[in-house]
Amino acid sequence: MAKIFEFKQCVIILKSTGKKAKNLRELKDVLSSVSEGAITHHTYQYFLKGHVLEYTNDFAHWAGEGIEERALAERLSNIDPYDYPSIQELRSDLISAIDDHLATFPEPRDAMRGDEFHFNETVALVFPAGVRARNLAEFLMAMKYLEGSSLYYHFYDARVRLGNKADDFSQWLEEGMEKPEVARKVRSIDPFMHNLESIRERIVEAVEEEVKRDMESAGVAQ
Amino acid sequence: MIEAYRNIAPKGDLMLLAKLGEALRGRSFLHVNSTREGGGVAEILHRMIPILQELGINTRWEVIEGDARFFDITKKIHNALQGNEETITEQMWAYHSEVNQRNADKLDLEADAVLIHDPQPAALINYRKGGIWMWRCHIDASGPQMAVWNALKRHCEKYDAAVFSVAKFARAMPVEEFIIPPSIDPVSDKNRDLTPAEIDDAASRFGIPRDRPMLLQVSRFDRFKDPIGVIKAYRMVKKYNDCVLVLAGSPASDDPEGEAVLNEVKEYASGDKDIIILLLPAFSDRDINALQRMATVVLQKSLKEGFGLTVSEAMWKEKPVLGGAVGGIPLQIVHGVNGFLVHATEGAAFRIRQLLTNPAMAKRMGERGKEYVRTNFLITRQARDYLSIWYALEHNGKKVLEL
Repeated sequence: MAKIFEFKQCVIILKSTGKKAKNLRELKDVLSSVSEGAITHHTYQYFLKGHVLEYTNDFAHWAGEGIEERALAERLSNIDPYDYPSIQELRSDLISAIDDHLATFPEPRDAMRGDEFHFNETVALVFPAGVRARNLAEFLMAMKYLEGSSLYYHFYDARVRLGNKADDFSQWLEEGMEKPEVARKVRSIDPFMHNLESIRERIVEAVEEEVKRDMESAGVAQ
Repeated sequence: MIEAYRNIAPKGDLMLLAKLGEALRGRSFLHVNSTREGGGVAEILHRMIPILQELGINTRWEVIEGDARFFDITKKIHNALQGNEETITEQMWAYHSEVNQRNADKLDLEADAVLIHDPQPAALINYRKGGIWMWRCHIDASGPQMAVWNALKRHCEKYDAAVFSVAKFARAMPVEEFIIPPSIDPVSDKNRDLTPAEIDDAASRFGIPRDRPMLLQVSRFDRFKDPIGVIKAYRMVKKYNDCVLVLAGSPASDDPEGEAVLNEVKEYASGDKDIIILLLPAFSDRDINALQRMATVVLQKSLKEGFGLTVSEAMWKEKPVLGGAVGGIPLQIVHGVNGFLVHATEGAAFRIRQLLTNPAMAKRMGERGKEYVRTNFLITRQARDYLSIWYALEHNGKKVLEL
């Protein structure tokens, strides 16, 4: 793997599918036929929005806030999209969760007018962030100042691109920098329990420790 | 021009703008709307056209001409798309088309990309000479009079794409539909930094006491902006926190109810010298800027709203904002993070009290608000988005585009 890490950034432009749901039955119906792009957006791309509160995808968010079905929101929040080999299987589990909820709980209310779930898709534009790192210290500096969409691209989007639950950062740390321990720390950050800023803090912390250790072992410190 | 945004707009937006500029350099981009002055669309075009030109894109802005009859019809179309009861006869639609045809004869409509703003010039699509055509709807069309929408749709469906401000404003159509929120310009008179002297000068001209916290709502005097509800909330707060309320708005010539609402508000506020009602002339941008900067808490307690960019304007000035959970306001306010969404007068009063008694929280929310606007609602982002959809439409079908 190349030693130089080229930071990239991604911007997404929303596209409306024109489809919406005002209650769970409509949500389920649209989910069964909507494009794979829409499911990708409402699950994988959730973390690009920055301010994550207590959900892990738009469906859970809407169940919790739009129609106040907390039990379903909890269940949907536990669905890990990276666990699925295909969008089709993810789609089918989302529908099953809704089916189970409808079979167990009293009929949920409709969303208020204006609070319906709107199904969107995206076009992503990927471009160089104009920053590169040749070593851990440069990587650390870049991590501190990179924009959120760059973190998203390398930490979240990479999981889909690499298809192996890894992210670009840990892959480079392991293969490019031969730092398996720091790579392991980055890889062990739970992508669902943090927003982009707290992901940044954790990566910085892990890399900073390693840089400090390198400096100390080289006798630079003191 | 672009240099003015460096260190203000996100670096990534400027980089993508430059990349898209490289990809589209020398190509032509035409904007068409129906007015050069007044209104949010003209305001943003005045600022955006030079940015696009500086990127090397041959950008033009044309304005269609029409008589009073035409604009009376298009005003009715606008209101009907927002859900009001209006009758647009076939004869009126025919006149709409006729005026569009006359304009098409006069205007140079040849360009690589054409962005037509709002319903007034929508029928120009029938005179397309080539290039990519996009229809930009700035109106909340989520609950239109269907007969009027269906008539307008005949034109809209001929475009390559439609662009709406918020997903919930969009209508299902057999064309690509993009979502691009509007934006504010951080270096314009309405939003640029002001000196303390400029702020003090506005405060003394308007007779605003600075010794107590100030609540502010900037909006037209319109029932949908709920000015009476704002006064009620202020009165609930006043029992606990001494404060001043400023209601500032400009008269809208297209709103016959404006004067009646202003009189109602004045009457409801009478006898309280701590309620200051300001009727500002059009283009009072710097004064509005000063008012927003001297406020402690800003309200946009609308009952119905388009996008509500006054929210982003206030957030840009690091103010905590309370907004009604309607229109585009929930897109700007992340509840509890950079402001509060409220559903009732009591809710507004409660949140104002929270902010007045907890200045540290108010400060934190204000700071987050500014960052949120920086990332999402600056003009550079909107320019970036327009070029992105043009570029995306030229690479039709691709979901990921590498530049």
